[in-house]
Amino acid sequence: MKEERGKHRIVVLNVNSEEHSVAVKDGETLLDVLRDKLRLTGTKKGCNLGVCGACTVLVNGQPKNSCLLLAAACEGDEITTIEGVAGEGVLHSLQRAFINHGAIQCGFCTPGMIISALDLIKRNPDPSEDEIKEALSGNLCRCTGYTRIIDAVKSWKKYKKTKEPPSRSYDSEKFLTVGRSLPRVDAADKVTGRAKFAADYYFQNMLYGKILHSPIPHGRIKKIDTSRAENFPGVKLVLTGKDVPDITYGVSPARYDEYILAKEKVRYVGDEVAAVIAVDEETAEGALNLIQVEYEELPAVFNPTEAVQEGAPQLHERYKNNINTHVDHHFGDIEKGFAEADCIREEEFVGNHVYQNPLEPHTSIAYWENDGSTLVLYSSTQVPHYVHYMVARVLDIPLGDIRIIRPTVGGGFGAKAATTPLDLITSIASKKTGRPVKMLYSRKEMFLYGRGRHKQYMKFKIGVKKDGRITAVKSKIYLDGGAYSSFGVITAYYAGSMIPTLYMIPNYRYEGFRIMTNKPACGAMRGHGTPQPRFAFESLLSMIADDLGIDPVEIRLRNAMEANTRTCNDLDVRSCEFKSTLKEVEKKSGWREKYGKLPPGKGIGIGCGGFVSGAGYAIYRGQVQRSLEKKPEAFQKKAIFPHANAIVKVSEDGTAVIPLILAAEIGQGAATVLSQMCAESLGISLSRVRIRMEDSDISPLDLGAYSSRTTLMGGNAVVMACRDVLKKLFATVSEIWGCKPQELEAGENRIFHKRDKSKDMEWAEAARRYFNEHGPLVGTGWYKPPEELGGDYKGAAVGTSPAFSFGSSVCECRVDLETGKVKIERFTDYHDCGTPINPQAVHAQVEGAVVMGSGETIMEEVIYDGKGNTLNPNLHDYLLMTIKDVPEIFSGIVDSYEPEGPYGAKEIGEGATLPVLAAVAHSIANATGVWIKDLPITPEKILKALKNKEEAA
Amino acid sequence: MVISDIALHFPKNLSEAIRLLGELEEARVLAGGTDLLIEIKQGLVMVKNLISLKKIKELKGIEKKGNRIRMGALSTLEEVMSDPLINQYIPALADAAASMASFQIRSMATVGGNISSAVPSADLPPTLIAAEATVELHCSDSSREVSLSEFFTGPREMICGKGELLTSVFIPLPPDETGIAFQKFALREASALAVVNVASKLTIKKGKIERALIVLGAVAPTPVLASKASGLLCGNKPSDSLFEKAALTAREEGNPISDIRGSIWHRKELIQVLTRRTLDEALSQVQGKLRRGK
Repeated sequence: MKEERGKHRIVVLNVNSEEHSVAVKDGETLLDVLRDKLRLTGTKKGCNLGVCGACTVLVNGQPKNSCLLLAAACEGDEITTIEGVAGEGVLHSLQRAFINHGAIQCGFCTPGMIISALDLIKRNPDPSEDEIKEALSGNLCRCTGYTRIIDAVKSWKKYKKTKEPPSRSYDSEKFLTVGRSLPRVDAADKVTGRAKFAADYYFQNMLYGKILHSPIPHGRIKKIDTSRAENFPGVKLVLTGKDVPDITYGVSPARYDEYILAKEKVRYVGDEVAAVIAVDEETAEGALNLIQVEYEELPAVFNPTEAVQEGAPQLHERYKNNINTHVDHHFGDIEKGFAEADCIREEEFVGNHVYQNPLEPHTSIAYWENDGSTLVLYSSTQVPHYVHYMVARVLDIPLGDIRIIRPTVGGGFGAKAATTPLDLITSIASKKTGRPVKMLYSRKEMFLYGRGRHKQYMKFKIGVKKDGRITAVKSKIYLDGGAYSSFGVITAYYAGSMIPTLYMIPNYRYEGFRIMTNKPACGAMRGHGTPQPRFAFESLLSMIADDLGIDPVEIRLRNAMEANTRTCNDLDVRSCEFKSTLKEVEKKSGWREKYGKLPPGKGIGIGCGGFVSGAGYAIYRGQVQRSLEKKPEAFQKKAIFPHANAIVKVSEDGTAVIPLILAAEIGQGAATVLSQMCAESLGISLSRVRIRMEDSDISPLDLGAYSSRTTLMGGNAVVMACRDVLKKLFATVSEIWGCKPQELEAGENRIFHKRDKSKDMEWAEAARRYFNEHGPLVGTGWYKPPEELGGDYKGAAVGTSPAFSFGSSVCECRVDLETGKVKIERFTDYHDCGTPINPQAVHAQVEGAVVMGSGETIMEEVIYDGKGNTLNPNLHDYLLMTIKDVPEIFSGIVDSYEPEGPYGAKEIGEGATLPVLAAVAHSIANATGVWIKDLPITPEKILKALKNKEEAA
Repeated sequence: MVISDIALHFPKNLSEAIRLLGELEEARVLAGGTDLLIEIKQGLVMVKNLISLKKIKELKGIEKKGNRIRMGALSTLEEVMSDPLINQYIPALADAAASMASFQIRSMATVGGNISSAVPSADLPPTLIAAEATVELHCSDSSREVSLSEFFTGPREMICGKGELLTSVFIPLPPDETGIAFQKFALREASALAVVNVASKLTIKKGKIERALIVLGAVAPTPVLASKASGLLCGNKPSDSLFEKAALTAREEGNPISDIRGSIWHRKELIQVLTRRTLDEALSQVQGKLRRGK
């Protein structure tokens, strides 16, 4: 037999009815060939192991995972990718249905979903809900909660095939865009596979990098020999700790404690030790094995209880007893509060370490332009500005020499809220090699990089009067932080600061410890630090309600936060319709008919929560400037610079308006709601607005997608910039008409006089007139959070916000009392998110949060062995809910208006997660009669608790 | 990720495939690829040569042959689920196939792969063993047929020698008054491996259990024929208390390990519950047949 291994062969692939003759290696997957060689990048690589379904293509009409097909074996097959679904600019009815039903968020799973659904409707044009779920059972979605996807597939026939662009033009004749459920502005690109994510970019002469990760949890690097790797054919550069700056980085300025590549020590299995840059990914990966590292292994510690003991292995010298952060907050007088209580209950709870798992893996590409003087960095990030700031710090160059580009991002949820090793290594390697460098994480590397939710060990004590009114709350929490700080300082503060925003708590004590352990660093995940304490608090409150014989909804109503309140920890709550959310969920879910009246195995439960609408203070102190140049300065109780900034630029012919803002669209819908607010403010139709958010050279600073800040802060900046545009337009037009500017109004694509109907001009004509006389028509706007937010104690800044959201969820579930298996059947959720800009987008956020939160409560957890190895770093074993696992979800919005928000709006993205965990836990307790207080609430824990109860009886 | 250094071969017929399998170094056959390629990508197996079975027609199709059903090794799980013969004679096998993976994977994964990968949690083997299926193994100069209950020798280990290929599965048509049921417990509704799966067969004559087979999956290195529990049923009238006793006995016949999907304790609990449920279901199948027969 002739030796043919590793050689290329020419195969002819029939893709979308076109024949491609392509040289492939026998081991290359169809997915890689479609993407890397044919550049059909609509087919996505999410897990590369056949679970996520983002790579689904039709092979001879059947949906298959292209990551599990070898390209050379596909010769003679008819392959259809997402690019082949819409023909010649005409969208398929199914694509229209996805657009109109809001079945798209980040868009990374969308091509695969549509391909699977396409096969279904061909076989079965009128599928039932169960048939849809079965057909899409191999397509994971992390954003939508699947609800709208099911709706879209169900009603695909309603939509005619239409010429593009459908998403905005169909609405072009309508105005008053704020408050309406308009389709996403990026929807058409996402249903056709045209939306370009970072990994979809290829540059000429591009190199690829891979990282060598530490195989041990704790040790000193004694020696690294890279010579064999350097001599490996195709390798261009090998980097180790000595080749990267001696400058630490991280998220919280007080705790920058990471090097790009380990300098002396490794602190967890996965720590970055070296990087290889080569002509392709395979070569880089192959060469990693040739790097020889000699370690002196050190004892390691994996849980916070052991890590704080005297004599425990120390991860960092600067964190004595591995205590990274210690918070001690006392508001009011808890001794007095508990003394006044008629009923006190204390319970311990344990959260779980979950990982965000956005479907798109982290990706960075860097090159240097402008004669090599300017770094261009493409990054799949939620926070382009913080990446900008951090790359400037580590490379020690001005921010002005760096251009950050954020392509379409396939979900973040906090996993992409910090600068990654990929961002920094590609920047350095592209400088050294003079060539573009691309790096992507595999799914396993995403788990190793981590930044998931901290596992929290919590003790909560609540005291109440006979009528259920809270007199005091005390909590003590240990957070398992992993090996580095990342966001953790802030996480530790958030774990305490959000508790008093939901209920009137007169006396409150919180003690928090964030502890370092030899595991991947934890970071900020949706609801940052708050979901687990909220789960604990809500569970305990429901237990107390039962103890006192008070209905769990009623005890919440009696303590609920009111508008215009300063909380005990000095947070200013303005708008608050928490009570309405409680009353609405009670009514809509049929709570009174069900609670306490369901048969064994059926349960109903409630949980509540709320969150900030944008952090009151930026993550770093001082002005926008290279951090190494800044002198340490005292904290000031005000925003030093505006947190959101917008330029609204009108095209010279007046027909298009381009808002520029660096706010991050990561799937949550920021581009759409900001565009809607822009159209509304200017009195033009949404189809005339084309937002540009991707490029820091073009769009002014916005702090990005974290702390649920974009709608409120970005929105305010855009609205202000629009007012600036109108002021200029009105000045020009009023001069022409000989009237006062304040007598003019803009609406329906026109400028007109409020009383004199004869004075009426096309909006575009007015803009042209302005340009003729004054040059470019541009407005600027910015938003600074109010000054003096928060109290005067240490850590008072965390939790401050211009506005707070509120929400209540009721969960109904069924538990198999013999196996412990839970089926979450129904969710009813009402939120106070202020006045929604786009109600459909709000519901979509809620549905996604319900499913993510439900999964977090019953099945998700990163599992480690006793040696710091992650046992389930893939989507086979780390369980995300599939479309077959999700409940029926009702999402409602109560009337509310937030004076600080644009058009009265507040946040929804993170707050929607907070009620979910406790609602699920309570419903399981209600169904089984046993409370499980450590997450996730697995069938095994339920069954064990039931058996223990049986034995005790 | 490119799977480095693999040579792919496309034999045109079975004998060529078997010849290649015998000749090539570190060779494996590639059928659906849904297990093997994942293993290779994760670096769990070393393979130098992959022999694609794509072009081999002999290995496809589900048909009735005499008093047996023959499933070609390349039958996909979707084909098993939707096949009229399977649904008529042994619907539990369709249930088992339907419980697996996801729609896409079921369109790719094959019967032969699910069996010969010899993964302890595989979903088809318990039902097939309960149905007393045999498998046909071919090597270059001969073929043999062995009972599936003797096929597995350990986790990812079975009796195929070098150059030997599983080509067909034969399932005897179940006698009248027979019910076969399958139950699986997994941690989510799709793309989930069995924590425990159980298949049971009951043949009931004149109100008494004539033959019973209970097979447990994911609770030992290979599928377990719970012979004590099965034996305890034979000759007796079916009843709740008898089934409960058999379930309790089966519980002790499994030898599970604790892993990320479940502990020994939970798996044992599940064996008991699922065994009882399969027996109940098998009985009601028989009763259904009787009612229809009258």
